[in-house]
Amino acid sequence: MAETATKDMNVQVVEDKVTSPWKEALRTFLRSKSAVAGTVIVLFFILVALFAPIIAPEGINEQKLGDPSTHLVPPSSEFWFGTDEFGRDIFSRVVWGAQISLTVGFGAVVLSAVLGSFLGIIAGYYGRWVDTIISRFFDILLAFPSILLAIAIVSILGSSLQNALIAIAIVNVPNFGRLIRSKVLSVKEEEYITAAKAIGMKDSRILLRHILPNSFAPVIVQGTLAIATAIIEAAALSFLGLGAEPPQPEWGKMLADARIYLMNAPWTMIFPGLAIMLTVLGFNLMGDGLRDALDPKMKN
Amino acid sequence: MLKKLWSVGLLLLIFVLAACSGNDKANEPAETDGDKKSNVPQVLVFGRGGDSVSLDPAIVTDGESAKVTINIYETLVNFGEQDTTIHPGLAESWEVSEDGLTYTFKLREGVKFHDGTDFNAEAVVKNFERWKAGASEKFYYYHSMFKADGEDIISEVIADGDYTVIFKLSRPQAPFLKNLAMFPFGIASPTALDQYGESFGDNPVGTGPFKFVEWKRNDSITLEKFEDYWQEGLPKLDKVIFRSIPDNSARLNALVAGEIDLADGINPSDAQSVEANANLQLIERPSMNIGYLGLTNTRPPFDNKLVRQAVNHAIDKQAIVDAFYLGRAEVAVNPMPPSISGYNDAIKDYEYDPEKAKALLAEAGYDGTPIELWAMPVPRPYMPDGRKIAEAIQKNLQDVGIPSEIKTAEWATYLDMAKNGEFDAFLLGWTGDNGDADNFIYTLLDKDTIGSNNYAYYANEEVHNLLIQAQSEVDEEKRNELYKKAQEIIKEDAPWVPLAHSIPLLAAKKGVTNYKPHPTGSEVLSNVEIQ
Repeated sequence: MAETATKDMNVQVVEDKVTSPWKEALRTFLRSKSAVAGTVIVLFFILVALFAPIIAPEGINEQKLGDPSTHLVPPSSEFWFGTDEFGRDIFSRVVWGAQISLTVGFGAVVLSAVLGSFLGIIAGYYGRWVDTIISRFFDILLAFPSILLAIAIVSILGSSLQNALIAIAIVNVPNFGRLIRSKVLSVKEEEYITAAKAIGMKDSRILLRHILPNSFAPVIVQGTLAIATAIIEAAALSFLGLGAEPPQPEWGKMLADARIYLMNAPWTMIFPGLAIMLTVLGFNLMGDGLRDALDPKMKN
Repeated sequence: MLKKLWSVGLLLLIFVLAACSGNDKANEPAETDGDKKSNVPQVLVFGRGGDSVSLDPAIVTDGESAKVTINIYETLVNFGEQDTTIHPGLAESWEVSEDGLTYTFKLREGVKFHDGTDFNAEAVVKNFERWKAGASEKFYYYHSMFKADGEDIISEVIADGDYTVIFKLSRPQAPFLKNLAMFPFGIASPTALDQYGESFGDNPVGTGPFKFVEWKRNDSITLEKFEDYWQEGLPKLDKVIFRSIPDNSARLNALVAGEIDLADGINPSDAQSVEANANLQLIERPSMNIGYLGLTNTRPPFDNKLVRQAVNHAIDKQAIVDAFYLGRAEVAVNPMPPSISGYNDAIKDYEYDPEKAKALLAEAGYDGTPIELWAMPVPRPYMPDGRKIAEAIQKNLQDVGIPSEIKTAEWATYLDMAKNGEFDAFLLGWTGDNGDADNFIYTLLDKDTIGSNNYAYYANEEVHNLLIQAQSEVDEEKRNELYKKAQEIIKEDAPWVPLAHSIPLLAAKKGVTNYKPHPTGSEVLSNVEIQ
């Protein structure tokens, strides 16, 4: 007993000595109640999305058309969230909708982070005319209101969920690009980069092994927050009929379909709306917590 | 502190201004009240789904234009108040020759156009000559009603004295009077036609109960009472304002809020809440329409009759009617509603039977190629929510093994694409213009009308012969037999899945009386009164 105790103590001591910045960040993060709450919400929705087939085995399009016992029935023990005008269980659709919204959110953000980081690093590291061209390109993209640009892109590509994802990704590219670029501008002046150059390291290796890892923290923060916006944008596009196609249970589309029942069957609207609100809230709280933890400027 | 005071002051100012403008509005009717004996201002604000295209009825085809022009212009003969029987209009009486080739109209005397021009035989002749000489794209209705294969059905219109007009036809046309009663053949002032030329559509002048005042594009059209109207005591309204509010729910909200007095295009799902509202009344328009799923007959897989029949078996129409029309429709069997003379009620519908559909598909050798299923983007009187009906049909088709993708396009584009036969399967519909079988079957399914209203590209020589024969058959019974035969062939060929004959809904404030919606979708408002 005593032995194990000392051992544990030793480990503790060793850990304290080499406090890695990541561990420090984790501690700050866990100290914030709202960040933890956000993470719990996000994890909850991820689990719901992963286990949708088990939670809602009925699927998304089990129509019981024209049957009064399932036509726009209010929430009950049988249908937790009520049913829609097709006689479909709204609970099942909201659960499966989590898959769609999270996929679009993550997908769009990963895509735009990759593209944005790539352009940002090149612009920041090489500077001069490369920087000018890429930065002006970002400016052009940023000059449009994001949802308007997304609508324009979807109109060109044709409306589908996949194209909505691509559109949202493109819209978000300049945010990541600028972020990385500014970070690279300062990192590339560090001594270890000069050292790497001095020993004749290739540009690609410097970029990937030294600059990228050291510029990446803000991308994680931005990424988490961007997922929230991406989910809202996807819902907005689907609401406008430019994203998900029937019978996909995309939350924004469910809202649009429920509009005419606002007065007499509000549950068709409330639950998908709540789902959007909660996921977005979760990602935002988590993102805020991450920023507090990872951004050195916030430390006092 | 100073900042706070400022904002409080600003807030107060806003309130005062708001109160002032509110007062102005409240005062306005009160002032007019003083002039009039009745206490209620006779102004009707009619909320509808879209703006008119033009106010020259001869060049438009859309219902929103007709709703307005029917109040500005009058036709030689009129439809009944809520049916399509024929009554005297600008013509007091008429005679038809034995062979059905000469119609002699006795015109009403003492009728004036809004610009003071006298209405007489010459004016009638001038209007018909204008339509006859114009291009077919311009005077669409004239050409589709009174020309066939480039040949004029009305060969001559002659003025015999001031108040007699003689029409000479090149062949008998059974629905001739019904055709004349249609809104596109409203008589326009010859003086105004000369004066305005191309811009006549923005400066409409007719003989109707209301005259044109103002048109704010995409917002409102204002008409006012024509003081010299020939019918004593009519119209009862002083002013009619047609307001465009595209969204059905927004329009109903405007009615509830009192911004408008009458709203068309009420969602069936809102009917209950209208009935429950003590200040509103729900009005049903008599049904004379068809909503259908067209299967483009020239495109695979629907170039195969067996596949089309299979789709007819696959779709659960009753369930669709129950879920989306909420009892405000009946299931359609034929391409025209049962109220129309010549309807074949002996025809048995394809029953809902997915197994049979699968068997037919197997027999046809359908390979499971996905199809595109097009749904209209806007609510129409014959179909309140096309996209949802499409989603239900998608499921029905999926159940029998036809994968489909739902698509939609902006309304004008949608109609263009349908005209060009670019859809595999599509939702559309039709509201009858004159209550004649010809106006449904010939207009929608004859090979002549491919490229206009025959969106399914259905062409059957036998049907064509029957329909052409029926057009010049004057004997009602023989004529109906021809249409019944045509419906049998069409049922077998299955160019469509006829879905529903809907009852379009309107809602009005309780005080709106004597508003009688017409089955054609547009009505004269001269008897409407506000109490």
